[in-house]
Amino acid sequence: MALDSLLANLALGLSVAATMQNLMWCLMGAVIGTAVGVLPGVGPVATMALLLPVTYVLPAEGALIMLAGIYYGAQYGGSTTAILVNLPGESSSVVTTLDGYQMARQGRAGPALAIAAIGSFFAGCVATILIAAAAPPLTQLAQKFAPADYFSLMVLGLVFSIVLARGSIVKAFGMVFLGMLLGLVGTDVNTGNLRFTFDISDLFDGLGFVPLAMGIFGIAEIIANLTNPERRDLVSSKVSNLWPSREDFRRSRGPILRGTALGSILGLLPGGGAVLGSFSAYTLEKKISKTPEKFGTGMIEGVAGPEAANNAAAQTSFIPMLTLGIPSNAVMAMMIGGMMIHGIIPGPQVMEQRPGLFWGMIVSMWFGNLMLIVLNLPMIGLWVRLLLVPYRLLAIAVLFFCCIGVYSLNNSANEVLFIAAFGLLGYLFIKLDCEPAPLLLGFILGPMMEVYMRRAMLLSRGDPWVFVQRPLSLTFLVLAGILVLLVILPFIRKGREAAFQE
Amino acid sequence: MRRREFLAMAGATAVTGFSIPRATAQVANWPDRPVKLIIPYAPGGGSDLIGRPWAEALSQAFGQQFVVENRGGAGGMIGTEAVAKAAPDGYTLLATPGATLTILPLLRKTPYDPAKFVPCGRTGDFVTGFSINAQVGPKTFQEMVDYAKKNPGKLSFGSAGLGTATQLRLEMLKFKAGLDILHVPYRGSADALNDLLPNNVQMMNEINNIPHVKAGKLHLLNINGPERHWDFPNVPTLTELGHPNSDVPIWYSIQGPPGLPQEIAEKLNAKMLELAKTSDIKTKLRATSAGLQPMTTKEMVAFFEADMKANAELIKAANIKLE
Repeated sequence: MALDSLLANLALGLSVAATMQNLMWCLMGAVIGTAVGVLPGVGPVATMALLLPVTYVLPAEGALIMLAGIYYGAQYGGSTTAILVNLPGESSSVVTTLDGYQMARQGRAGPALAIAAIGSFFAGCVATILIAAAAPPLTQLAQKFAPADYFSLMVLGLVFSIVLARGSIVKAFGMVFLGMLLGLVGTDVNTGNLRFTFDISDLFDGLGFVPLAMGIFGIAEIIANLTNPERRDLVSSKVSNLWPSREDFRRSRGPILRGTALGSILGLLPGGGAVLGSFSAYTLEKKISKTPEKFGTGMIEGVAGPEAANNAAAQTSFIPMLTLGIPSNAVMAMMIGGMMIHGIIPGPQVMEQRPGLFWGMIVSMWFGNLMLIVLNLPMIGLWVRLLLVPYRLLAIAVLFFCCIGVYSLNNSANEVLFIAAFGLLGYLFIKLDCEPAPLLLGFILGPMMEVYMRRAMLLSRGDPWVFVQRPLSLTFLVLAGILVLLVILPFIRKGREAAFQE
Repeated sequence: MRRREFLAMAGATAVTGFSIPRATAQVANWPDRPVKLIIPYAPGGGSDLIGRPWAEALSQAFGQQFVVENRGGAGGMIGTEAVAKAAPDGYTLLATPGATLTILPLLRKTPYDPAKFVPCGRTGDFVTGFSINAQVGPKTFQEMVDYAKKNPGKLSFGSAGLGTATQLRLEMLKFKAGLDILHVPYRGSADALNDLLPNNVQMMNEINNIPHVKAGKLHLLNINGPERHWDFPNVPTLTELGHPNSDVPIWYSIQGPPGLPQEIAEKLNAKMLELAKTSDIKTKLRATSAGLQPMTTKEMVAFFEADMKANAELIKAANIKLE
């Protein structure tokens, strides 16, 4: 696209987004988004669903600007609970808990929150420019992926996920497999068979991510903290500086840049874009770090990279939605619902028929990101204070919000019971010294991998060579193979164990 | 024990003594408080696109809020079951596509009896047809049939999932035209569209194809419905193409729980028939590619039975099984 037409488009977008009314909707979306992001479990999907009827009365531009604001606002807010109370509100903030929560326990919640917000802001700005400048060609790129390529990408992702773990590699393998097994629960897409559902209709669609993540991370952490006062006091006793030091900034610069790049690309892919983005950013930082063994103990790089990546991915996931009408995740499906309510059928024609809406929304994302950073940085002091609330009160409040949050997803009481069960399981994992992050990645990637594999085999009419005949797929498989080799080569393994078991 | 018995008796007296006149009054005054309209799917989906404009129109017409509640899960079974077990007082209703009532129960054991729901009104049909990726070649229905006959097993069709209305459409096409086309089930129509556009699968039959037909990426081969699509006056219906009784519409309706007084169903139905004529609901639905086929409750019962029968025959002929 020529530069002058891009500028003309941005000017058009600016004229739409900068009206008083639309700025107000943008602010409202950002504020609501931050709020639901901070409340554990109350995610953007449930919030947007609640607000969808309200958008009937708004003009289409205002409605979509607000809904988009809720989404990326929640990305900012979501990292807050991950860092403060070890509760990943969304799959994309799972890895933020690894080092973010450790930083909070060392009294460095302020710097962690600030870097998360700054990284998100930077990534958001870059991704907004990407959407404006290169949405159509990027869409073409994402369309090069066939089911076989997705499968191989997931294989690579799963192999990578082992690297996430801090402890023994055997335990990490075990957790990935357990996660994959949990992911099998539900209706098989290809045959309609019910797996491990025990005739409970809440299980027909599989276990939900939110109850699982909340139970295993949040509830388990609360139980562990309650049984061990020393562990708990660590959190509240020494809240030191609120602002990142010069050293923190220096260390975060690279991870933010790399995270933004990775997240922007992976966000284009349907399904696990933001998740893959955040954890591959984490893996990358760990791989290139001079001190990989310190990851998981409160390294600021482990917060900066993934947070930039998940925000970049959140933003670029708008690209397939805006240019093709294909939602890459549940939130985008909700945005499509919001568009259709206003009689706009999402697809390639939106850009031509409603240029004001299209470009207005893109420019509003930049305004939204700016508002969010202005909103969030001064709030950090307040959030950190939250840690000073006596734990007996904080724990109950967190439990309370978890229950509301899980219930609000599907209006299902059974799912509230699931978090209790997963909480106990998570406590067991803490006692056994098993890292839950690989389990969650197995849980997310395993079922996707299965679906793509079977679909690829269906489309190739049963020919397994499809996985090596496609260049993209072959590349991913070769990379995965190399990684596995590196892990099993005895020499390297020795070095690895030394590095991982400290 | 005695106290409990006494309470039970008192309760029974209350039921027999006072509830009948109160129930009649309740029917006459319906609705005198907000009505819950349960949509058995996640928000933002096709059912919302038809259900929510109706909820708004009915709220205005009755002066009582019709509140939409999305209870998704298990292919629509969870929300449908919730309505089946709700009090039949007219304050909990179901806004559903046909699938939960006339397809799902033929394939799975459902925790409700579809025949016991009380039909209140047709809310609309999604109007679309078979579309094919432009890269494949065929531009018309006949050209596609010729292509498929020359290349058996080469075309793939993406559906929104096993046992959905879209799969039934493909099975119907294969059955009636004698074609060999591979069925590839997806998790919803958006997922399938993602593989249709790069030509990983070649055909689909969903409303989300319409914008891409307009953009020239796909060809719309026919219309599944009694009438042509207002935006595509040149695309024939299946009946016009020589396949009568082949239309499996994706129809939506409002249904009351088993035992809903017929007076309430009729009152709601009358208002819906009136709104179909007087309000802008038709325009609103058309914007999302949905057509309006208003029906009386009596017509709905006959329609329901015919649909159930047609689906059962197709499922048998195509040997569709879920477990």
